[in-house]
Amino acid sequence: MRNVLAIAKVVLLEMYRRKEFYVLFILTIVICLIMGSINIFNDNQIIRYLKDLCLLLIWVSSLIIAITMTARQIPAEREQRTLLPLLAKPLSRNQLIFGKFLGCWIVCGLALICFYAFFGALAASREHQWPLLHYLQAAFLHWMVLGVVVAMSLLGSLVFAAPSSNSTIIFAICAAIMCVGRYLDQIAAPMHEPARSIVYFIYYAIPHLEIPFGMRNLIVHDWPIIGWNFVFLDALYLLAYLVFFLIAAGLIFRRRAIN
Amino acid sequence: MSVILKTDKLRVEYRSRELGQAVKVALNGLDLEVSTGEVFGFLGPNGAGKTTTINCLLGFVQPTSGAASLFGIDVRQPIARQRIGYLPEMTYYYKFLTGEELLRFYASIFALTGAEADKRIDQTLKLVELDAARKRLIKTYSKGMQQRVGLAQALINNPDLLILDEPTSGLDPLGRMKVRDIIQRLKNEGKTVFFSSHELGEVETVCDRVAIIAEGSLKAAGRVQEIMRGHPTLEKAFLNIIGYQADKN
Amino acid sequence: MTSGKTLWLWLLAFFLLCFNLATVLQPRFQAIEKTNRQSNNFFVLLLGDSSRIFANDFFIKADVYYHSGYYPTIFDNKSAFETPHIAEDTGAVASHNHGEETDFMGPPRDWLDAFGRHFIPNRHTHLDEGGPTDDLSKSSQVREILPWLDLSSKLDPENVKTYLVMAYWLRNKLNQVSAAEQVLHEGLRYNQGNPQLLFELGRIYEEDYHEPDRARSIWEAALRMWGQEQPGVPLSERLKPSNENFDDWFIFDQLQQHLAHLEKEAGNYDAAIAHLRQAQRVSSKPEDLQKQIDELEKEASRH
Repeated sequence: MRNVLAIAKVVLLEMYRRKEFYVLFILTIVICLIMGSINIFNDNQIIRYLKDLCLLLIWVSSLIIAITMTARQIPAEREQRTLLPLLAKPLSRNQLIFGKFLGCWIVCGLALICFYAFFGALAASREHQWPLLHYLQAAFLHWMVLGVVVAMSLLGSLVFAAPSSNSTIIFAICAAIMCVGRYLDQIAAPMHEPARSIVYFIYYAIPHLEIPFGMRNLIVHDWPIIGWNFVFLDALYLLAYLVFFLIAAGLIFRRRAIN
Repeated sequence: MSVILKTDKLRVEYRSRELGQAVKVALNGLDLEVSTGEVFGFLGPNGAGKTTTINCLLGFVQPTSGAASLFGIDVRQPIARQRIGYLPEMTYYYKFLTGEELLRFYASIFALTGAEADKRIDQTLKLVELDAARKRLIKTYSKGMQQRVGLAQALINNPDLLILDEPTSGLDPLGRMKVRDIIQRLKNEGKTVFFSSHELGEVETVCDRVAIIAEGSLKAAGRVQEIMRGHPTLEKAFLNIIGYQADKN
Repeated sequence: MTSGKTLWLWLLAFFLLCFNLATVLQPRFQAIEKTNRQSNNFFVLLLGDSSRIFANDFFIKADVYYHSGYYPTIFDNKSAFETPHIAEDTGAVASHNHGEETDFMGPPRDWLDAFGRHFIPNRHTHLDEGGPTDDLSKSSQVREILPWLDLSSKLDPENVKTYLVMAYWLRNKLNQVSAAEQVLHEGLRYNQGNPQLLFELGRIYEEDYHEPDRARSIWEAALRMWGQEQPGVPLSERLKPSNENFDDWFIFDQLQQHLAHLEKEAGNYDAAIAHLRQAQRVSSKPEDLQKQIDELEKEASRH
């Protein structure tokens, strides 16, 4: 675990010293403040459109951070040959994969804390209330989704040579799951075989990231809190995918020649 | 003197990704033995298999057949790398870290923490003459400084065996001299150094024993004087052993 | 090696070239985009005709907000949401809705679908009734639909329906009469003399500002404008009550009935009777109007 944490710490330092997070965070703040400054019939209590926009920006920004950061981890180590002195130490390849994953996942978590704190402040500025448990549920499941995305990107970085192609593919997969993942069974129903079975298989095989993504509407429209049992069940469901992708990444990386 | 680095009939084949291309044999039954306290030069022309051998020893490449061990432990076990230091040829280190942070990171992988880590970091930075630049980001380092920080990371765990892949490649004469001095100092401390190089003059001055490989096979191994026997210089001996005949070209 | 001075000269030359090209090309582009230039709306200038697609999306988005996010997707049964409820409730548009409003998703298809439904809005609620919390003190939350309607109107300023819906919610549910008036004026700026907008504006003057004379002149203007619309279509065709030309005959009916009411209040019984007779042409219950006419005739004879 010591080695894993050491690797994770370097990932954290890297993100701390790079610009991506700051740029996206400032961009989110600026867009939200500009949209918030628009006068809509002199009613300064209108907030939901702003919450909606802010949450959407948070989701997009967090996905960009998670995917681009993770996608370049292993390829950059290979390209800059920092992988060689690293793996020449008493460090297993699984530890490296898990350390990279943990680092990226922690970075995502820290980024989410900043984003959701801003979101909470923005909402409270007009609603004068802090539904902290709502935000906690949303941020927790959001973080779990990012865990799956990070693990997927890590696996992708071992399959696809270039970080750019990996990022694009993972981003497209995530967007597709979030937009139509829930309806794949309905899309499959009128199809002919074998396309029907294939789409049904995809429906049951993909990680349904759209479930936490749909929670945005509950937050935006002030719906009552969801039962924690459902939240933990979903977290467990996402955790299973996360572990699956990590194991797959470990298996691929295990016998990969490094030179 | 005990054997701490050993390869036994090591064979590595690379399969070409292009259709119709034959399998390339990078190493063909390589047998090597390096004992404690030796400075061992590993020589060969470009593409001879020097880096592949080192990659096998460090577990980067899986041998097709044969075996390799460090301190008697199969190189596939991460623990085999606990007592070694490795400096790759032309490596860039994490540019977003300072020299000190980089060493602290590598030290933590060797379970060196707290005062022990601080002491080792101080010692190695002084040894490679980077103490003044320890708080600077590595991206601001010159090429020579980067090579020296590489050497420092290889020494952070006070290794018993140091594996150096072309350690003076691309350095100016002053940089080469500094690296040579460090190797000499390590030799004096009783460390084992295994290094590949093209610089035969350098090998001649610092090595106890050398091995020469060509086309993946061991051509000669022994003390420098034995290899040079009958030749005015190590370079002549080397060219003769690898079968290079000047008049053919 | 090019010297720094030469580079600066090249830079200047290219700048002059760009400037000259701009002066030549700008009038040509203006001529091409003459139709778009008629609008001074930033979004319309930026997006061109495609802005209408977004406008419709945002109009639907306002209805989604009205339902606190509980809304069918293209994969669900949308029959009860064919006409956005925010528009349907105004009574100014024909409704095409049928079917069950509360169960458009049907029973859960599988465990994934059943599980996923815990994470999305799952009850049919309306913001003017308190929204998902059912807290009626929060019914003013209907204000949340306004940004989308506002944006929709900016993207498609020629869509009269948006102004009507916006004015309805502002006036009737949020008690923001002057804002509603402003919206209607804005609508009239892009849709000059539109009878529907004029009718709603007249209602504000009559019902909120209590200025019947001003309301009358607006409604009469609206009737005149109505008469000038669709010049080739026979009046009998336009006044045939059906869902297809709802907007056309419905506004005629409303204008006539409201003018009749104004004239009655002003003691102009003959004029009121004349308006009611016109309204009878399109009314689904002409006998009710006939009763009013009979009463007015009695009143007129008494005076």
